[in-house]
Amino acid sequence: MGRLDGRVIIVTGGGQGIGRAFALRFATEGAKVAIADINGPAAESVAVEVGEAGGEAMTVLTDVADEESTTQMARAVIGRWGRIDGLMNNAAMFQRPQITDGPIEDIPVEEWDRVMAVNLKGPFLCCRAVMRQMKRQMYGKIVNISSGTVFSGRSILHYVTSKGGVTAFTRVLAKQSGDWNITVNSIAPGLTASDPERDPRAYEGRVAARALPRVQEPNDLVGAAVFLMASESDFMTGQTMVVDGGAVMH
Amino acid sequence: MGRLENRVIIVTGGAAGIGRAYIEGFVAEGAKVVVADIDPEGAALAAAEVLAGGGEALAVVVDVSDPDQTEAMVAMTLEKFGRIDGLVNNAAIAIRVKHVNAPVEELPVEEWDRVIAVNLRGPFLCCRAVLPHMKSRGYGKIINIASGTFFKGTPFISNYVASKGGVIGLTRTLAREAGPSGITVNCIAPGLTASETEEMPASHYEARVPDRAIKRVEVPEDLVGAAIFFMSKDSDFMTGQTIIIDGGVAIN
Repeated sequence: MGRLDGRVIIVTGGGQGIGRAFALRFATEGAKVAIADINGPAAESVAVEVGEAGGEAMTVLTDVADEESTTQMARAVIGRWGRIDGLMNNAAMFQRPQITDGPIEDIPVEEWDRVMAVNLKGPFLCCRAVMRQMKRQMYGKIVNISSGTVFSGRSILHYVTSKGGVTAFTRVLAKQSGDWNITVNSIAPGLTASDPERDPRAYEGRVAARALPRVQEPNDLVGAAVFLMASESDFMTGQTMVVDGGAVMH
Repeated sequence: MGRLENRVIIVTGGAAGIGRAYIEGFVAEGAKVVVADIDPEGAALAAAEVLAGGGEALAVVVDVSDPDQTEAMVAMTLEKFGRIDGLVNNAAIAIRVKHVNAPVEELPVEEWDRVIAVNLRGPFLCCRAVLPHMKSRGYGKIINIASGTFFKGTPFISNYVASKGGVIGLTRTLAREAGPSGITVNCIAPGLTASETEEMPASHYEARVPDRAIKRVEVPEDLVGAAIFFMSKDSDFMTGQTIIIDGGVAIN
């Protein structure tokens, strides 16, 4: 008996990294998982992994910054499983492709726009696409991925700004959605070793600032995600859980 | 297989109300529990009910504001179960043990001292008592209970709100001190919870409902999932944090 038995959960950016870890754990807890990713083959490979572990998954090719694509994502999931219980807004621009980590005058304006489009407009569009269905069900669980950098003010400027927007978006949407028993919460991770192609030393710089001094792995985040997708968190909404080994304290 | 299988967890104020709900939730997940309470009959009854249900429990009478008693609580737990995995600092002066509502200039100084002694010194003393053991094992889970009132600045209970704000400070500093020993320290901040319904009229709890995003009375069970999460390995990389569970009134 899993804690997410029978729940249908969409994971954007589920084809790799942290999103992949969420998808695998949700399936282990009994959820049916829709892996929404801009990278079709990556989504497909995670769906295969879920299937091999005895779970149920579908893939949806999704560009979260594109309104039509997000409405089709919701339509495809409802078409397949008839409902949407959870939305994990995980897709974001950060490590892949690498974005500019530098002073404001070096950040190309188009790159600022693109980061906002994916990291902030993306969650807005995905929530917008699933909300009607969740309200009809009188139940829903939305989890947005913010970032510990919102609280530390560490670089990268446009990335952190987009994640600050995600935290604010979480709060307002929570207040507006409670009447339908829809909870909206955020997880704010620390820098997580989610990209196997990146030099592992890139992740070690943050270790010294943590109360729990080690590199953060994608699996460190899945417990909080299951909690926020399960009925256990039904009276918690509008909140941000920092899961970063105790670097910032919120 | 429960999520807290074989973990030994102390819950202060565990005899009634929210503490009792934690006890039941932890036992259902396989934990062995210590019902630590200032009320001897209540603690004995709660422990007896756990035993009757096939679980393992120990009742300990403790005044959390007394260092000799918190040390004795830890010694008795170790004698009975040989280890301590978790501590929930839930005991507080709130409803069952009443406090005076008054503006700061009219709040009796003794009233301030009494609330701070139980609500803030109590968690400090309980943490102080369990830490040497947890550090020696290289693992431990501590939950402190703060309050949504800290985020709202609720008037006329300055002693209570200040004690709960202090608990958040204790959480953060202790998280940094104990993290290298594999110990996590986190905080749950509930809204007003209908935990002792004999003591208060229903209207007392219903008055808070309109402010909430989720418009209903908060009940002890609303807090149990978060407590299990913080007691389980699912939260092993989360420390120093405070989560508000109040139906979406205060925001953190």
